[in-house]
Amino acid sequence: MNAILVLLRKDFALFRRDRTSIVLTFLVPFVLIYLFGQVYGVNKATPGPTGIKVAVVNQSDNPAAARLVDALKAEPSFRVVTQYVNADKTTRPLAEDDLRPLMRQDEFRFALVIPPDLLRSDTIGLHLKTYTNPRNDIEAQMFTGLLQKTIFSKVPQLLGQSLQERARAYLGSARLHEFNSAIAAAVTKQFGGDPAEVEARMEDGHFGLRRLDEDEAPAPPPAPGAPAPAAAAAVDPLSRIVKLENIQVAGVGIKSPTATLLVGGWSMQFLLFALTASATALFRERDQGIFQRVLSAPVSRSDILWSKFLYGVSLGLIQLMVLFFAGHVLFGIELLPQLIPLLVVCVVAAAACTSFGMLIAAVSPTPEAARGLSTFVILLMCAVGGAWFPVSFMPEFIQQFSKLTLVYWSMEGFSQVLWSHATWGELLPTLGYLALITGLVMGFSLWRFRRGRIFD
Amino acid sequence: MNPPPLLSAQGVVKRYGSLTALNGVSLDIAPGEFFGLLGPNGAGKSTFMALVSGLRPLDGGTLTVGGDPVAGASAARHSLGLVPQHIALYLDLSAEHNLRIFGELYGLRGAALAARVDYLLGVVQLSDRREHIVRTFSGGMQRRLNLAAALLHSPKLLLCDEPTVGVDPQSRNAIFDLLQELNRGGLTIIYSTHYMEEATRLCSRIGIIDQGKILALGTIDELLGQLPFEEEIRFSAIPETDALLPELATHGEVATVDGVHRFRPRASYPLSSFYLLTERSRLPQRLFTSQRPALEAVFLQLTGRNLRD
Repeated sequence: MNAILVLLRKDFALFRRDRTSIVLTFLVPFVLIYLFGQVYGVNKATPGPTGIKVAVVNQSDNPAAARLVDALKAEPSFRVVTQYVNADKTTRPLAEDDLRPLMRQDEFRFALVIPPDLLRSDTIGLHLKTYTNPRNDIEAQMFTGLLQKTIFSKVPQLLGQSLQERARAYLGSARLHEFNSAIAAAVTKQFGGDPAEVEARMEDGHFGLRRLDEDEAPAPPPAPGAPAPAAAAAVDPLSRIVKLENIQVAGVGIKSPTATLLVGGWSMQFLLFALTASATALFRERDQGIFQRVLSAPVSRSDILWSKFLYGVSLGLIQLMVLFFAGHVLFGIELLPQLIPLLVVCVVAAAACTSFGMLIAAVSPTPEAARGLSTFVILLMCAVGGAWFPVSFMPEFIQQFSKLTLVYWSMEGFSQVLWSHATWGELLPTLGYLALITGLVMGFSLWRFRRGRIFD
Repeated sequence: MNPPPLLSAQGVVKRYGSLTALNGVSLDIAPGEFFGLLGPNGAGKSTFMALVSGLRPLDGGTLTVGGDPVAGASAARHSLGLVPQHIALYLDLSAEHNLRIFGELYGLRGAALAARVDYLLGVVQLSDRREHIVRTFSGGMQRRLNLAAALLHSPKLLLCDEPTVGVDPQSRNAIFDLLQELNRGGLTIIYSTHYMEEATRLCSRIGIIDQGKILALGTIDELLGQLPFEEEIRFSAIPETDALLPELATHGEVATVDGVHRFRPRASYPLSSFYLLTERSRLPQRLFTSQRPALEAVFLQLTGRNLRD
């Protein structure tokens, strides 16, 4: 027993001295638990994503349309944009023509147009137009669902108005007025009230429909043995009532936007691990005395570092292309039409990943420290950078932070190329950001290497 | 007229923060010499090797190889080959692949490179293992390949920084034989070690270094000649022999190490007088052994410490 206790104390003593193990045991899971908690909306008043940027163009003079815009603004899942900012910083209301170019620039991925014919006489339901650039299926479905929920829960009278318009088309205004008057009279006779007021409410679409977020008696449970209502059956009538005319700005004909996210995200994660391992091999070469031998030849320190950098970029390019090809085989990601831009994005992304690996090697005093630090930072960058799930699922401040990561811009690049089929002009800012990250990180790393003892 | 030195160090200083690793080291090494740098761990041997091979900058003095300063990727680098203390090889590559890499770093290509690789694999007796992964080699084989990798570009000066650390006696002898053969072929060698046996066996001239300074420089005979005695007599420290010490101390140095008295008589003191003294004391001759002093004694004489302390 004494031996067991001695050995137990020894293990704790070793663990206490091993910062890498402490980081991997506590800090990494803590941060990931926090991030996933944010994504799942744990303990939030309104679970689900927040701050999805949605542009709204209201072309309708129906007062209910304005209420819909207000309702969307009040919905925490959305961050509604209604103004176009001119070059001189003045603003004007967004127009439908503004939407496509702004979405191509990725100012926002979803837009709602409330057209003048919001309510049509030839059909029941609302007529809305959405513009989408749904880089992943989940995000797109979430936008549609949240939009429908907002309409049903916040402005249900729009549906009543729709029914009135449809009835007017069938009956004519005079007969509809006659019908509404008769109903209002019957209702007030039975339940009391002012017939004129009830009729006015009916014509305004208030058929006793309440906001769904008001108090409401719970639905009776289904009878024993009766089948539960199918989810599809519940959704389909709603989607018929709110007719969303979707105009997809990018990715038309692309089989699976999620495949790009999936392949790009996991490729980036393992690329970062691979290239960091490659860069931290500098420690091994130092400890083996290989630098002594190499540097005694006509070889400079810069030669060693740049060869490492080029190796990382080459390996990264190969890895990314192989995995995207696997994505092509497995999920039908279309590579050929965008092969050259994809190659360029892969090169720049691999360069950024390599510079990150060099940074880890430059700032870490030991290989063990490098391993712990890199694991922590890579998982953090992948989580907040959109490699695992869309950035829009996370709180606003994390979305802002994600733009500081190379994973975010790499994912942007992959998505722009494979999903949006972006032009070179559209791609240039993303490439520029990645190149900037690479330059800054590599410059700092070289400076650290010169001051450090990696070559001693 | 002596030929110009292949390596010339004049007042070389190297500091690591507040620690002065080399403090005004000056020495010249002529072409064809087998020069030993002998000193304990931490004496400054590896620092000197690092400076000669251009791995670190000097903080003072000058250091030239073949007349060229060693700083920077100059011609001096082509003139020297370094055998590091570590097995500085890519352990997961084959022996041949390793040699090709290091040969190419020196600008060798094509047939010339292939010929050098073939030749050196033969010299270090690894021709039949050329395609084997280095990690699978024994320590001695790795050491031999480590040496071959420094010879690819036919350097004029070979720097061996304790190249036999952790090597079995058989492989050590093989390495010694190879180095001596290379030296006989005209290669200048600087060999750092803390084993006086190695320095004694290999080196034509030795520099004794300690605490960053060259304490003595010369051939073995010249170094031993600096000692104030020519013989060392050792005998067990027992009460009977202890009684001799006061008188012996008047004729030379007496030290006691690990229960053994060491008497180093002055040159003027004849050994016959010593043995007369032991007879008078009725002590048997078998208690006493006499031997010529070694470099260890020179180091002890110079520093007051043993080489392995």
